Amino acid sequence: MIARFLKWSRHNLFGKPFDILLSLTVIPGFLWLAYQVAAWTVTTARWEIIPESLRILMIGIFPAEQAWRAWVAIMIIAALLGAALGCVFAFRKRHAAGLLLVLAAVIALTGSKDLTNALLTASTIAIFASGCAAISLIPLLRRALLPAGFIALIAIFAVMSPPGAGLWGGLLLSILLTLVTSIVSLPVGILLAFGRRSRFSSMRWICMGYIEVMRSVPLIMVVYWIWILMPVLAPQFGLADVVRGMIGFTLFYSAYVAEYVRSGLQAVPREQTEAARSLGMSEFDINRSIVLPQALRVAVPPLVGNVLDIFNTAPLVFIIGLTDFLRAGQMILANPQYGDRTYEVYAFLFLTYFLVGSLITFVARRLETHLARGNR
Amino acid sequence: MNAIIEMKNLNKFYGSHHVLKDIDLSVSRGEVVVVVGASGSGKSTLIRCVNGLEMYQNGSLLVDGYPMPVEEDRRLGGERELAAIRKGVGMVFQQFNLFPHKTVVENITIAPMRVHRKTRREAEATALKLLERVGLEAHAHKYPGQLSGGQQQRVAIARSLAMEPHLMLFDEPTSALDPEMIGEVLDVMRELAADGMTMMIVTHEMGFAREVADRIVYIDQGSILEIGKPDAFFDNPENDRARSFLARVLKH
Repeated sequence: MIARFLKWSRHNLFGKPFDILLSLTVIPGFLWLAYQVAAWTVTTARWEIIPESLRILMIGIFPAEQAWRAWVAIMIIAALLGAALGCVFAFRKRHAAGLLLVLAAVIALTGSKDLTNALLTASTIAIFASGCAAISLIPLLRRALLPAGFIALIAIFAVMSPPGAGLWGGLLLSILLTLVTSIVSLPVGILLAFGRRSRFSSMRWICMGYIEVMRSVPLIMVVYWIWILMPVLAPQFGLADVVRGMIGFTLFYSAYVAEYVRSGLQAVPREQTEAARSLGMSEFDINRSIVLPQALRVAVPPLVGNVLDIFNTAPLVFIIGLTDFLRAGQMILANPQYGDRTYEVYAFLFLTYFLVGSLITFVARRLETHLARGNR
Repeated sequence: MNAIIEMKNLNKFYGSHHVLKDIDLSVSRGEVVVVVGASGSGKSTLIRCVNGLEMYQNGSLLVDGYPMPVEEDRRLGGERELAAIRKGVGMVFQQFNLFPHKTVVENITIAPMRVHRKTRREAEATALKLLERVGLEAHAHKYPGQLSGGQQQRVAIARSLAMEPHLMLFDEPTSALDPEMIGEVLDVMRELAADGMTMMIVTHEMGFAREVADRIVYIDQGSILEIGKPDAFFDNPENDRARSFLARVLKH
């Protein structure tokens, strides 16, 4: 074992003079850094701030007595995500083990005395698992996934709205924003991508103009513009800041979705359209049943990457005064009593973003291999 | 009205390149017409004009009684008229062009269900019957990528037949196949011809052409140089270029 390690390190770490130099500087430096971080984590850091302010981090200033609404929303999201993942992954025992690990981590974080939250977390995970298992076992359910997604969004809005949409915040807001944006921008982006190849040049120009404009301005500006324009354009609705933010995000990311879908459309050989035409199919049927499914197969991996983009840019909604996950962390630090816990809070934020982000990347990669296998 | 295809003075250009020159050709119902010629002579373009996959610039083309609009008129629309013509005309491509994301049965049933509004059950019953006819009923639920080239091409033929066409177009159906698979596709086409299907075929299989064709059309550089009975054409071509073409292809 040790002999093998020595051999391996001689080949890979100390093979050439430059390698030796690199290894001798990088490895000790890295070890020192790891030691410092670990020492701080275990000794200096006072972590009790995280369980104490977990509610703020998760749901922001959403009233505590209404927290059940947030739980319902989280469970709907869990079912939806579970179902979406179930399309790609067959549910196995080791996945169940992984979920139990997550549950254990959450309970460790919240403290064992908080039984209600532990139970709610457990049932959320159970819902996630059963959504995943149901759809991977009954393939017929997959057809219902997109409509179910829209119904789920409406249900979430219905549950979360009564206390006032202005109160939404925390990680839940980040997730909701990501979810709404990625689900709604998909059909909009698909329509834009088809519009860009339309036979009618006016249609082509409008779609191309929209896509190019959105892609050449910063997201933060689009969001801000929509925020200040909405009350002027639609004063009778009195849309909440959250909804205006979601509209801004959706309008912006639809252009990117359109580009990913367009690259997928270009990957479908022209002969496919010709074959469908020779069968007398209408252009609408050809696009819907022959071209789009093959295009999406190519576009799905970048589209999942797009979801990660949306999640990571969600903190920008602070510009219109919303309290997303990152902003909720800063809000806790604004409390003078917690002013000296900056590193603890930011470390938690970093870790959470990193975990969610790498989860999405992992799914995207698995999806890619899954689709490559399907494309026999 | 016995002719199913009637071309009069048909001309096609790619930009300034004159691809089809004053084509006059009529095909009767029940007839098997084989188009031969060197590559680049315009034979594929000719056959693709018949179901409107290629547009032509002037002249006239009647398919099954419907006039096929010239390019200028198609710019203004007419997709629906075109779809009406295509319903009655089947086409088989060199590269099969099956839909890779659909199973064999789905490939065959999709057009009848969408275009003729057949129920799934009806369409699947027809599909299985057609698969039996081309000898592939065992592969009904596979994906095209799991089949050999010859099998894919037979599925493609079944897919076209599912629309109950009055006319079948074959654009070099065996050119992309390994030699040992050509026979199985030609057998299916032979049977179709024997059943009285009207067929227009572009092919390099001269033996097959001679056997099934009622008439051979020889085309070179966009013009029809000779139309004749197969025996007369192969044994004693009138045109010089046809003679040298045959000398080249029949040598092997």
